[in-house]
Amino acid sequence: MVLKPEFNLPKETSEVTGKDGKQYLQFNTSMATLYKQTYGEHSRFFFALKEARLIGSKCTKCGQVMVPAATWKCPMCGFAEMKEVTLPHRGILAQTAPITIFPSQSFIGQAPFCRGYVDVATDAKVASFLPSRLKTTTGIPRPGVFVKGIELKLVFADERVGSILDIFWVPMSEIPAKLRKKEPLFERELDFESPKLPKIKANKEFKPAYTSLMQLLKEMSANVARSKRSQQNLAGKKYRVGVKTGGGDFTFIIEKNKMGVVAGVAKKTDFIIVAEDPNVFIKWINDGSLTDAVVEGNLWLPSREAFIILPTLDRLPRSIRRDLH
Amino acid sequence: MRRVGIVGAGITDCRSRWVEATYWDLFQQATKATLEDAKVSTEEVDSVVYGIYNDIFEHQAIPESSLTGIIGMHHKPGVRVTSGGATGFYAMRAAIMEVASGYSDVVLCVGGEKATDCFDPISQTQTPMVIDTIAKSWDPFFEYPLGATASDSYMQVCMAYNDNHPNDINDPVVRAKIIEMLCRQGNRNPFGQRRDETVTAEQVLESRWIIAPFLRLLEVCMYTEGAGGLLFASEEKAKEISKRTGSPIIWVKGVGAANESYNPGRGGSYKPLHRIESDRIAAERAYKMAGVTPKDIKLVELHDAFIAQFMVTMGEMGFVPIGKTRSLIDDHIMADIRELGDNDAPKKGQLLINPSGGLIFGGHFVGGSNMFSTWSARREMIARNIRYSLVHGTGAINAVFGGAVVLELEGGV
Ligand SMILES: [Zn+2]
Repeated sequence: MVLKPEFNLPKETSEVTGKDGKQYLQFNTSMATLYKQTYGEHSRFFFALKEARLIGSKCTKCGQVMVPAATWKCPMCGFAEMKEVTLPHRGILAQTAPITIFPSQSFIGQAPFCRGYVDVATDAKVASFLPSRLKTTTGIPRPGVFVKGIELKLVFADERVGSILDIFWVPMSEIPAKLRKKEPLFERELDFESPKLPKIKANKEFKPAYTSLMQLLKEMSANVARSKRSQQNLAGKKYRVGVKTGGGDFTFIIEKNKMGVVAGVAKKTDFIIVAEDPNVFIKWINDGSLTDAVVEGNLWLPSREAFIILPTLDRLPRSIRRDLH
Repeated sequence: MRRVGIVGAGITDCRSRWVEATYWDLFQQATKATLEDAKVSTEEVDSVVYGIYNDIFEHQAIPESSLTGIIGMHHKPGVRVTSGGATGFYAMRAAIMEVASGYSDVVLCVGGEKATDCFDPISQTQTPMVIDTIAKSWDPFFEYPLGATASDSYMQVCMAYNDNHPNDINDPVVRAKIIEMLCRQGNRNPFGQRRDETVTAEQVLESRWIIAPFLRLLEVCMYTEGAGGLLFASEEKAKEISKRTGSPIIWVKGVGAANESYNPGRGGSYKPLHRIESDRIAAERAYKMAGVTPKDIKLVELHDAFIAQFMVTMGEMGFVPIGKTRSLIDDHIMADIRELGDNDAPKKGQLLINPSGGLIFGGHFVGGSNMFSTWSARREMIARNIRYSLVHGTGAINAVFGGAVVLELEGGV
């Protein structure tokens, strides 16, 4: 469906207080319009994507290539004719790509995601860049993965509907050698489900931080049990999250509105997250944020599911402070 | 072409949301303030230019039509301008051209936005829907479906700049110091949205990340509801009005505009991602028309979506070298308002930048943000006897729209 079912408001007029302390009215309404949006001259590009091909337009005069073919008449050559060209399924990332953490309403639930411009027609002297989603098989996107100049492999979604989301790009270095030249390469041929844990070495220097972290977590668990706001934060949540650090491992056990912590990674976990420096968690306990640690690249997560629980954990130190201090 | 002067300006209070007023009343407030400032009646105004960015924000497809009567502009020509973030600039340009051409002697230019009535039923807050509404400025075929947002798009340009010029905009301490200075300036703006806030460099460095490594929460511009007006007049009329008010005329010396291609790419007419060429070309054109260089300018009101872009734009407009824009702080080029007080002009080699608090602390009612900037530039030029100032506007995906206006204070030195 185009509109989410919960994407609605009851018909009502309500009161709202002004800066002057007086009462004013506001009414619920919408400006939504539905479309059968014409693809027109772009139809060729999206037909090609459905067939797992990537095409662009090439000027018969100057040789410049547009991908996507925003037009089939060259604006640099008095609107000379442009011909269809088939493009390779590899490209170069034109610029270090931003990672979207706080998306707009229509994309909530997809974050964090990565968008960037890909230089595909690298043989042409003049060429446009293809705006695209960028994905990694090594967990959720983080700084340092999608940097300017890396080689990318074009991947087609298994189900294609004629949308720019029918394709995405993956770092070539993550593509198994035997698949690098395969065209087209499909999403199902890559493993996005079980990213390899980043290797971290046990580091003596992190040992003291780990020891104090375990003490702080113990105190925090006790505080959660005394803080109503924290218990509300955890209401209805049930997770077992393994945590590996350079100083030692532990497991968060969240259930029955409580937060428990045990040393070591438990046998059964929903997922495992990794931070080389245990101070990432000490910072969090001191009113910091695990989400920020992810954004900064200091905390590794395997999946979007892992990312979604972070706001819950991030609320705990604040709730404890408000209830108990 | 005829000379064009600014003879009046007025803005509303800048607020995150106005439940006391619709955009009808906000535009009327701004019009009233502008005309009162110029001691001009609605009868004396020949025509009006409206700056309104987004129909979805206003919830009306011809929003200016409802304004005509209530701001006293019936039976006069009225045109609406909408050009993304640069709407205010382009509306001013249209008003200036109308006077310069001789079509009109007195033109009201009024812009504003009602932005935060948008509401997201899922999070029960406004912001995700406000961002989504702005994201609809992107095309529905290629960019919008990817999840493009305004901040990601401007950030993309800053990250590309950083790829080519490392060790400039990526120093968080430099950016935080600029914010601290802008905050102090915003505190002096009687209409500023965050005039009662104190933000220190330390707080900036501890605020939540929006996009690493260039954008923390306290580095971003606001959403504002409000409106601002300017009154442009021909030379003869400006002199007459100036006598009436006792306020000096602010002459429009140069106007430059340039839009880059929507499509980024390599060579040809494509947008280079690591530059804001629209800002560079617009500023160069404005300097040429005014017969000045950046060295002549002491005051800049710059469209700051966020601080990294603030720095890049200062480079593009020729005030600091590209790749070394951090010299704004390192070399004390950005004047400290604590040293200048309310009446001093910046010292030689220094610039007063965004004394209004800019779009981060002052206000950002999109369709009139650049009128807000011009209102501030005029106020500071008169108070500090600054001869030349520059007002900047930017907008659209990847900052591809650019505009600059050079202003001159009558009798300024
Ligand atoms: Zn051509």
